[in-house]
Parts: sequence; structure tokens; C-alpha cells
Amino acid sequence: MLNRIVIDPVTRIEGHAKISIFMDDTGNVSDAEFHVVEFRGFEKFCEGRPFSEMPGITQRICGICPVSHTLASARAGDALMAVNIPPAADKLRRLMNLGQIVQSHALSFFHLSAPDFLLGWETPQSQRNVFGLINSNASLARAGIRLRQFGQEIIEILGGKKIHPAWAVPGGVRSALTEGGRARIREWLPEAFNTARIAFELWNKTMETHQREIQTFGNFPSLFMGLVAPDGTWEHHGGKLRFVDSSGSIIADQIDPQKYYEVIGESVQTTSYLKSPYYTPLGFPEGLYRVGPLARLNVCKCMGVPRADAELEKFRKLGRGTVTSSFLYHYARLIEILACLEYIERCMNDNELLSDDLRADAGINSFRGVGASEAPRGTLFHDYTVDRNGLLQKVNLIVATGQNNLAMNRTVAQIARHYVRGNKIPEPMLNRVEAGIRCYDPCLSCSTHAVGQMPLHIRLVSATGQVLNEAIRG
Amino acid sequence: MKPSTQLLVIGYGNELRTDDGVGPRVAATVAEWNLDGVEAIVCPLLTPELADPLSKARIAVFVDAAVEGSDRVQLSKLEPNESCQIMAHAADPRTLLALARDVFGRAPMAWWLKIPAKKLEFGQEFSPETRLGLAEALEKLRGLCRSLQFSA
Repeated sequence: MLNRIVIDPVTRIEGHAKISIFMDDTGNVSDAEFHVVEFRGFEKFCEGRPFSEMPGITQRICGICPVSHTLASARAGDALMAVNIPPAADKLRRLMNLGQIVQSHALSFFHLSAPDFLLGWETPQSQRNVFGLINSNASLARAGIRLRQFGQEIIEILGGKKIHPAWAVPGGVRSALTEGGRARIREWLPEAFNTARIAFELWNKTMETHQREIQTFGNFPSLFMGLVAPDGTWEHHGGKLRFVDSSGSIIADQIDPQKYYEVIGESVQTTSYLKSPYYTPLGFPEGLYRVGPLARLNVCKCMGVPRADAELEKFRKLGRGTVTSSFLYHYARLIEILACLEYIERCMNDNELLSDDLRADAGINSFRGVGASEAPRGTLFHDYTVDRNGLLQKVNLIVATGQNNLAMNRTVAQIARHYVRGNKIPEPMLNRVEAGIRCYDPCLSCSTHAVGQMPLHIRLVSATGQVLNEAIRG
Repeated sequence: MKPSTQLLVIGYGNELRTDDGVGPRVAATVAEWNLDGVEAIVCPLLTPELADPLSKARIAVFVDAAVEGSDRVQLSKLEPNESCQIMAHAADPRTLLALARDVFGRAPMAWWLKIPAKKLEFGQEFSPETRLGLAEALEKLRGLCRSLQFSA
């Protein structure tokens, strides 16, 4: 008899989702599926729009990572026009992306995940949130909010507003950094570095007390993919694609993102609006790969900045070849925050960011253009096909959460195997399954694309449809 | 901690969803008044980092579009929630006030200015009811500024 546990919805992630855990005749977990049940259809309704509108339209996909979409979209526009944007524009886009990664990672670590680490799995869900964190450690909560604010501030300084800035355009950007803006960023940097230091201290303690989670939260061999610089250094905006296997061997390198479709296929499942990309040479589902902070640290040679490189060295000791536990996404996120701060600090001495040579202009020189950029959650692709007038004929968006879909399924199954027996739905299992999903910081707004939250509903259902057990939260 | 801002106006909503954009429009107008001690923030939604500037304000006014309720502009006093879950982009003004109080040490006196909204489809043109509400809301804020001895 096949049983199924449904967790609907998953909380403290961006969007609606539910989880089904399938059980075999002996009451052991056989498989799991992470379903996304909302549909928004940006790829379809953008058809017919001018490509120049896309940075503005696609950033509306999400209130958390609009910058990632606008930057990837602008890059796709660059490719359609076949232009090299002015160096100042490229540096400014990079600076905004660094701010975006900081704010998003701070949100994920301090607001969404730290309550799990600090308050413990047995703490009731009503208290295991940022308010519980405030009661436990108000200064940490404040620092986390301020760190996110710092990233948002960079976005606002450059783009005029924190969310949905109409700033990046095909061919460049609309405005430069001002002296006043540079002064504000410089002034805030020491506090941001200090918050990162506090976060590392917290994380070191978390690793001591969460060895079991490190072992069981999505700890399996897989491929990893991310952008790297020509010399293999960590890259976030620009660069080429690299795949490594779990031993750390590079299996594909310096792949032009314009040709991503030669190595990435997309599978569609009837149970979810989330697409499941895979590495084509290995096929589906063997071509499972992970993206995002853990993957970026696994594929790169180094971070390219000293303090983050020192942390990367410690991080690498947690694995052989690659670090395979998805619980360590959190650690990777912190290392990326530190790297971003170091790169931002470095930018502050570059006067080219104040330049007014910001845009290249051209007509349509290519009927297909791909923009790739590292969003906080992983590599983001915008693939546009246009007609001679620049009107979109086809749009394909490949987002991080989709690319991690197969890995999330496997993570849930792995956690459930450790905590589910028979028809029981133990509370600690539910908490851990949700936390396992949160390691990936999935953004369902981006991947399908929806927003919101609902109470938790879990059902254990037999193959005949009989509800064997049920739990409702909230 | 002494407030560094006398009046903070936070107008929130989606500027591309017709009447839902009235909150941002109010805040943008207040910003144009350029009054010392008055700050205005335009945002599509309420996010946790707003707790920081809130904690530095003496008085805060949240301006939002209201689909349900009265056909007139409503001004109601806000109290911080005791405590509740905060999500990345789904906060309530009372939650933000609680966050300001608990994390940054103080919450301002706060009001919720709700402007009637009749249509929420794509677009940037307000409905007649919301246009009237916009004018009334700005008049109320002018009155508040005058009472706080600013001139608007």
C-alpha cells in the first residue's frame, strides 16, 4: 500500500508550495515531491512586448529579487543588440547585484532561517520566527534587519528605489553612483562587516550543535553549476558556466551562457508548475544539479577577496572535493555576504562608477539573446527571441528554484526517512522538512510565480484516498 | 532615544494597479512639500527594514488603499501588535510597529490613513472615488503638518 504525507503549505519561504511524502508498504519513506501549485505565466504574456520593456516587466515577478531579473533581462537585451556596454555601466550593474545578494542573503539567514538554529526544532512554530528571535537575541535581529537594509540602500542609491528600480536597460544603466551615494555606502560598510562577523560566530556555534542536520539535510552527491570568471574565480554577473561533480571534478567549463540550452534541458512534471532543469549529457533525472550559494562555492577556484577566501578554505574542509550537505547553504550564504561586502568596499575606490558614459545603443542585431546572472538563489537565465522590430516571439526564464527542484525533492525524502515511521506525523519531522526546504531559500514567486503564506496542512493519505492522519497548523 | 524625524509618511501599494497606487502617490506628494522634519517613503509593500526609520520618527502615518470599508478616507490610530510572524514581503503596519518597538527600542505614535479603492486592474489612472480620496488624504496630512507647526 502506498501512503502519502502532504505538507501544505510550506511556511517562511517566498510563495505557496506543498510537499508530498510517499511511503512504501512497510511504512518507510520511498520518495518525496515538492509541488508548486500556483501559476503566473510571465513567459507567455510577455510575448508581443518590445524587448526593451522586459527589465521593467520581469522584475515584477518578485519583490525579493527584482534586481536579479532586471539585470538578467538587461543582459539579454545587450545580446539582442549585440553591444558591449560601457565599462562603467557594467561595474554599476555589478555593484547593484552585490547589494541584491547581501539583502537577500540577510533576509534568508536572519529572518527566515536563524529562528530554526537559535530557538531549536522543538520550539512551537508560533514562537519560532523573527519575534522569537527578537526575544532570544534582539541585537542579532536588529543587526540582521540593518544588514538587509544596507543591501537595499545600495539598490536605492543606484536605482532610485529599493524595490523595482527602473534602472538597468538594454545597453547599460540609467544613472551613475553619486559622491553622496558613495559616502553613504562607505559610512555603512563597517557596521555591515561587523554584522557579518557576528553571523559567522553564530554559525560556528550552530555547526557544533547541528551535526545531525548537516548529515541529513540534503546531503547527497550531485552536480553543481554556477558562473565563474575566466580564471575560475567566483563570479556573480558575467563570466561563463561551469559544472562540477560531487568529487569536485570539472565536467563542463567556460560554457557561454548564450548556449546554455546545449547543456541544460527542462523537464515538466504534471504535479507542479515548477520546471525541473537538468544537465543534458546525463539526462533526466540523473542530470540533477544544484545552483546557488553552495554550488557557486563548489564550482569556483576562489572568491577573489581575502576574508571570504579564508572562510572558503574552512568551508572546503567540510567536504571531499565538494561540500554536499544542503544544510551548508546557510554557511555558503554567509561567505557570499562577506565576499560581497569586500567587493563593495573595493568598488568604493573606483571613480569609474561616477562616470556618465553609461549606455550603448543599437538596433536588433541578433534574433535571440540570453542574459545570465547569479541571483542570490542561483543562476538566472532570461532567453528572448524577437522579430526584426524587437517584439518578443518567445520567452524562456530558467530560475534558481526550478534548478534546485530535484535536489529539494531528494532533500525532503532524506529528512523524512530519518523521522517518519508508519502513519505518524511527528512534529519535529515537519519542522525539519520545512527547514530543509528553506536551506535552498526557494523563491516561488520567481519560479512560477506567486506570493503569500497560509497555515500548514499535513495529511497522511493511503493509496485508496483514505486519510490516515492529519495535522493542521495556524 | 529622541526621534530624529517629526513625521514619517509611508505610502505603500502597487503603482501599476490603478487605485492601489494611491498610497505611494500620497507619499510622493508629501516628499515634494520638502518640509524640515518630515520624511516620506514610497514603497510597494511593507518590509522589515522600515522598522528602523519608524523607530526614529515621532509620528508615523501609513497610507494605503482600502478595498473594503467606508467610501470616505479613514484615519485610525494604530497600536503595535503584541507579537506576530513577519514575512519577507507581507507585513502589516501594526507588525512593523511591534518590530520597531522590540528591535529598535521604540515605536512612534502612528495612524493608518486608508483611501477608498474601487478598481485594481492594471493601469495608473485612479478611479473618481480614489481621486477624491487622494485630495482628502492630502488635506488631512496638511492639517497634521500644520498642527505640528510645519507649513504645507
